[in-house]
Amino acid sequence: MSDRLFGLAVIVVALGYILSATQIQTSFLSDPVGPKTFPYLIGGTAIICALAIILKPDAEPDWPSLWTFGKIGLAVLVLVAYAYALKPFGFVVPTAVAAGLLSYQIHPAAKSASLTGIGLSVGLFVIFKYALGLGLFAFSRSWF
Amino acid sequence: MDTLSLLADGFAVALTPSNLALAVIGCFLGTIIGALPGLGPSNGVAILIPLAFSLGLDATASLVLMTSVYYGAMYGGRISSILLNIPGDEPALMTTLDGYPMAKAGRAGDALVLSGVASFTGALLATFGLILLAPVLAQVAFKFGPAEYFALYVLAFCTLGGISSNNQAKAAIAACIGLGIAMIGLDNVTGMPRLTFGSMQVMDGVNFLVAIVGLFAVTEVFVFIESHGRESALGVKLGKITIPWRDIIFTFPSMLRSTVIGFFAGVLPGAGASLGSFMSYTAEKAIVKDNSKFGHGDPRGVAAPEAGNNAAAGGALVPMLTLGVPGSGTTAVLLALLMTLNITPGPTLFTDRPDVVWGLIASLLIANVVLLILNVPMVKIFVRILMVPAWVLLPGVTMISFVGIYSLSGSSFDLLLMIGFGIMGFFFRKLDIPTVPVILGILLGNNMEDNLRRAMVISGGDWTYLFSSWIAIGLWIAAVVGFVAPMFLRGVIKRPQAITD
Amino acid sequence: MVNGIIKRIALGAAFSVALASSALSAECIAPANPGGGWDFTCRTIGKIMYDIGAVDAPIQVTNMAGGGGGLAYALVVNERNNDPDLIVAASSATATRLAQNAYGGLTADQVRFLGAIGADPGIIAVAKDSPYKSLNDLIDAVKADPGSVTFAGGSAAGGFDHLKVLMALGRAGFNDIKAVKYVGLDGGGDAITQAIGGHVQAVTGDMSEVVGFLKSGDIRVLAVFTNDRVPGFDDIPTAKEQGIDVVAVNWRGLYVPKGITEDQYNTWVERLRKVAESDEWHEAMVSHGLAPFTLLGHDFETYLDGVIKEVAQLSRDIGVIQ
Repeated sequence: MSDRLFGLAVIVVALGYILSATQIQTSFLSDPVGPKTFPYLIGGTAIICALAIILKPDAEPDWPSLWTFGKIGLAVLVLVAYAYALKPFGFVVPTAVAAGLLSYQIHPAAKSASLTGIGLSVGLFVIFKYALGLGLFAFSRSWF
Repeated sequence: MDTLSLLADGFAVALTPSNLALAVIGCFLGTIIGALPGLGPSNGVAILIPLAFSLGLDATASLVLMTSVYYGAMYGGRISSILLNIPGDEPALMTTLDGYPMAKAGRAGDALVLSGVASFTGALLATFGLILLAPVLAQVAFKFGPAEYFALYVLAFCTLGGISSNNQAKAAIAACIGLGIAMIGLDNVTGMPRLTFGSMQVMDGVNFLVAIVGLFAVTEVFVFIESHGRESALGVKLGKITIPWRDIIFTFPSMLRSTVIGFFAGVLPGAGASLGSFMSYTAEKAIVKDNSKFGHGDPRGVAAPEAGNNAAAGGALVPMLTLGVPGSGTTAVLLALLMTLNITPGPTLFTDRPDVVWGLIASLLIANVVLLILNVPMVKIFVRILMVPAWVLLPGVTMISFVGIYSLSGSSFDLLLMIGFGIMGFFFRKLDIPTVPVILGILLGNNMEDNLRRAMVISGGDWTYLFSSWIAIGLWIAAVVGFVAPMFLRGVIKRPQAITD
Repeated sequence: MVNGIIKRIALGAAFSVALASSALSAECIAPANPGGGWDFTCRTIGKIMYDIGAVDAPIQVTNMAGGGGGLAYALVVNERNNDPDLIVAASSATATRLAQNAYGGLTADQVRFLGAIGADPGIIAVAKDSPYKSLNDLIDAVKADPGSVTFAGGSAAGGFDHLKVLMALGRAGFNDIKAVKYVGLDGGGDAITQAIGGHVQAVTGDMSEVVGFLKSGDIRVLAVFTNDRVPGFDDIPTAKEQGIDVVAVNWRGLYVPKGITEDQYNTWVERLRKVAESDEWHEAMVSHGLAPFTLLGHDFETYLDGVIKEVAQLSRDIGVIQ
């Protein structure tokens, strides 16, 4: 069933992909293949393979429980928030918070999680900034 | 003829105590950079170029430092592949397939030592190849026009089905996803944007590093949360670390074969180390008699891609030095370094600046030996990574991945994309869809398309041009065989067992 | 207590950041693979700026190939618009593509051009064993059968390398632009390799890209698109001498993000002026076949406005844009 749903999703996406490929601007010059051919071929191949999967699906995988999905969803949220926080708030604080939260999810112990967060944040900053010379900012530039 | 005396001169230049110290530092830094997900050899060399200038190093010393970093990163990429199932850089992608299963079985130390020896073999032989064959091999690059390159890429994709999945359709879909993503952005031939939906963020395409780190590192976090570490190598009881002589002897023929394949992939500008390790792996899987263990911790599956990618790293220096055309991202950066030192690689480099060429070759050999010496004892330290509690290690790896990606592009969009790839990777893992073809699609898709389109411009739309040389025809035959053989042989050879645990 | 620790860590990190940022190195983006003209611009200008003390830290060069420079342009406009430590290599190719609206709708006024400090003469070259001995041989061959000659260059179709060919053919009376075969590769080095290998018949590019192969004798330069022969390459005839009145030089310069202050802009202009006046730059120009061509700051911006209008008109004339 999962394979069939996946196959169906691939077909929908591939059709959308082919549809948007029809909108690609073509060039004015000698270019027999053109910018659309490859996207068409890719979409077409994907559809054929998706049909093959729908007709001959593999055994059903073990899906995790809803509760586990919730936990993974939470981890995704933490990472997304982290992605948005890096630019405005600098490296150190968002990293400490995000690393701490992830650590807590894996091993629910507040003390070790917060120490992990702070340790990783400061340690990685020092390594990346000074050993590898990456252009990172520790804190928001507007704080100074 | 006087190759030996030239090489001796090269060693005389490169083997000063300060240069040796630089080699050790370079190898160490390179190994670490290579092992960190998101930072590969090209970033490593690029990041350290300013260091060479601020230290005020002369041409030879800079070269020693940079080649050590280059080779070090090629060695280092495998460490996180084996231990964490996260490729440290793109050529180390294939090492995850068998290296990680070995680690899960408690053989992390063996896998690391073995891959170290394979890397050494590949790199050493490739350096000799460079010494003996560089001028001849430069001619090979001339032979490859758009038609030949296109056939080469077709060959790569046709052998995809054989890598890791039990289901060819799934591998093909994964490749299509990668290729489809590669199309996004400015079209190299017309210079006009494609499939960007007006978004400026994807105008420059999707960076394959974002995909690698997302599909491997971020996915690993989700899988760990789901399985509570049951399917991870973390905390696995480690065997005593010894040198696995039996594996080394057993895989030695694989290393030699892979070195040849990798070296030639490296020599071709536009093929590079990733293709080298990929083709080494698929070729090895096709050649050996009993390949049922591939994908489940076959030591040959570790030795082949590592010998292949390190040989490719040496091979890539051939077009870089003799033509001034870089064969990979990393040689592009090395080329840039040479140019800043007022050395212009090109057809006259070997005669104009033998000191530079032979100094470089000598420093490659030095770096290689230093790396082997550094790496084998360091395995004991590396495997300790697996003893780090998961609640420290996984957040750490995640944060490193984020910083690696963020520091390269400085955009939160790439980070979101990376998380998206992570989610996709999680579902793919559940559905038993291989993620390696996605990366290869992103990595090679544009080159494949550009070469087809160039070929068709040259021939005026005549498709027979694609088969117009013996090299092209040979590659096409190999591609067809590689694609069809698994289908017909499926009944004959035993199908690999589906992973049931 | 945790708060106190964080504060202390914050303070320590703040000091180190303040220390580190003073020595922060600027970045120069070369929007092509190493080995091409833009790469040369970044590396040489960047190195000289540091050597003569115009900047405190070595300038880090990043290669960002793709879309004929469009990838880098989009990055500067979209993501680095306020970065005062960023310079980007530019050339006639940049202006050409802006004039043709080839950067996905981005326009020339979305960045600020600093200046040009040298010009790379355009050339057309063939492999040493090619039957074409002069520019007119090549043009006659195209006239006789456009399908028989493929040109390769380091820029995408419609780019400056491509336009040079079309202009030369146009002057010679051949205007069937759609029939001219051109392939764009990821840099001049790749294009030359393809020509030497016999996969394409001619290379269109710049003098600096062919110097190494010229020395080794692997290629023959048929014509250089300058008014006079280029010093140091006196045996190469100009297109003009051969009756094809095309002058196409590729100026080498830089642009910076639009969002930086006037002061920051002027600082970069002054740094570039110092490079232009340095002995090191003059040496570099000679060894790379560049002709002197210095225009800085607002003078350059005015000049460029004119050039872009002209190229846009030319592109319409030859049908490259509507």
